[in-house]
Amino acid sequence: MKRTPENGFARFAGLSILALLCMLPGWARAAELQVPAVVEAGRGFTISVDGSGQGTFYLVGPDHVVKRTVSLGGDLQIQSSDVRAAGRYQLIVCGSSCNSAVFDVKAARPAHLSFFLHPSRVPVSTPDSIDASAFVFDQYFNLVLTPETVDFRIAPAGGAGVSRQVSTRNGVAWMRINSTPHEGRVQVTAVLDKVEEARVIQQVAAEACGLRMKAVTSGDTAVLETDPIRDCSGNALPDGTVVSFTKIDKAGKSTVDTPIKKGVARMQFSMHGPAQIDVACGVVLGNEIVVTPTGKL
Amino acid sequence: MKRTRRNFSPGLARAAIFVFAACVLAVGQSSPEASLPQVHLDADGLAPRPIEELTGTTIARQYALAWHDLAEALEFDRSGRIDEGFVGFAKDRLTQRISEQKQAGLHVRIVDHGHHLKAVFYSTDGTAMQLVDQAQLEIQTFDGNKLLDTQNASHSYVVLMTPGADRWYVRDLEEVSSKSF
Repeated sequence: MKRTPENGFARFAGLSILALLCMLPGWARAAELQVPAVVEAGRGFTISVDGSGQGTFYLVGPDHVVKRTVSLGGDLQIQSSDVRAAGRYQLIVCGSSCNSAVFDVKAARPAHLSFFLHPSRVPVSTPDSIDASAFVFDQYFNLVLTPETVDFRIAPAGGAGVSRQVSTRNGVAWMRINSTPHEGRVQVTAVLDKVEEARVIQQVAAEACGLRMKAVTSGDTAVLETDPIRDCSGNALPDGTVVSFTKIDKAGKSTVDTPIKKGVARMQFSMHGPAQIDVACGVVLGNEIVVTPTGKL
Repeated sequence: MKRTRRNFSPGLARAAIFVFAACVLAVGQSSPEASLPQVHLDADGLAPRPIEELTGTTIARQYALAWHDLAEALEFDRSGRIDEGFVGFAKDRLTQRISEQKQAGLHVRIVDHGHHLKAVFYSTDGTAMQLVDQAQLEIQTFDGNKLLDTQNASHSYVVLMTPGADRWYVRDLEEVSSKSF
């Protein structure tokens, strides 16, 4: 081919571009060290290293650092124990000069669930009151970031069980459910393949419903007793729940708090003439009565 | 006894003031607050629970502190530096790495150009927050005083933070491919 100024310029430009490409670190690394872009945690692999003679091999990972002398121009084994933690790894081989490459280790198959159920006690028939969150980890406790389906199995005491499948996002699956109308324990189990984690919460009675009391007088003393206190679903409020009785008579206003015992609340007032008495439990007001020392009106 | 009076020249006084000012400036700049990396937190659309403004500010600051401590720990092979900001898997892994890099005679210098944090999950009971961090970092790896490699790139991390008695801790810090998001 005849050498012309145009051909000479084209050759110069081509060589310059090639030289520039060779100077780019990523390109040079790719030529020297061929590493897989992504490796599963706990799986060793082999790379080939160009060159001759002895060199130094470095592997820098999230929880592990390796430095050893290697023979260049052969295969280099990366042990499974070197790549257990998920994350980015830097691989450097130094002979007369150093070359490096990076690769990512991703989590292996799910092997552990970290499961949280909140709260530990919840009132019955309350919408969106139970939260379940499951974090998915592999056998090396790396968060599994690829989407997986977690099956939340909900088993209320004495009721039909239900199941809900939720896909993980960034390793987390969560859901929110209503509490059921009946008090008692509810077991929620998070299941993913053969991994299961169960948690139990207690459903308790909600606020009192139809709170009523009656009074019996004896002289100037009134003995007050509520009917059995239940919520709107018929669940008995637990013993120890505080009930407040308020009396207004000539002596003024007086409030007494008393706990529920055996399903009812009782208390006794001394009266100074006719007295107006009302009862409340939490935010719920019950009936109001007027009693006199001679008897109930 | 005759009392002698010392005269300070105006030039000497000016020099003293300059030295004092320089010391104050140097102390200020060497404090951790001054050298914390930039962290910007985005918590829009966070579920299942929204974040309170004060919590967001605290998390951003303590995440910045954690990275400041991490950079010092990796550069000077001091695993004790990470005790304040890291717990759980993150602490165990970093402690092991620092111990092994110290044994190998390596150290890593991180030039931190800032983090963009996106909060993606905040548990209803407030015990865990998951975030995705897009960090701009220059990472230099040394064997002794010999620079082996420099990586200047964007890095993506999945972060799990949990609250302790008086602060938020980094419980898990996993670097992922930016293609993951």
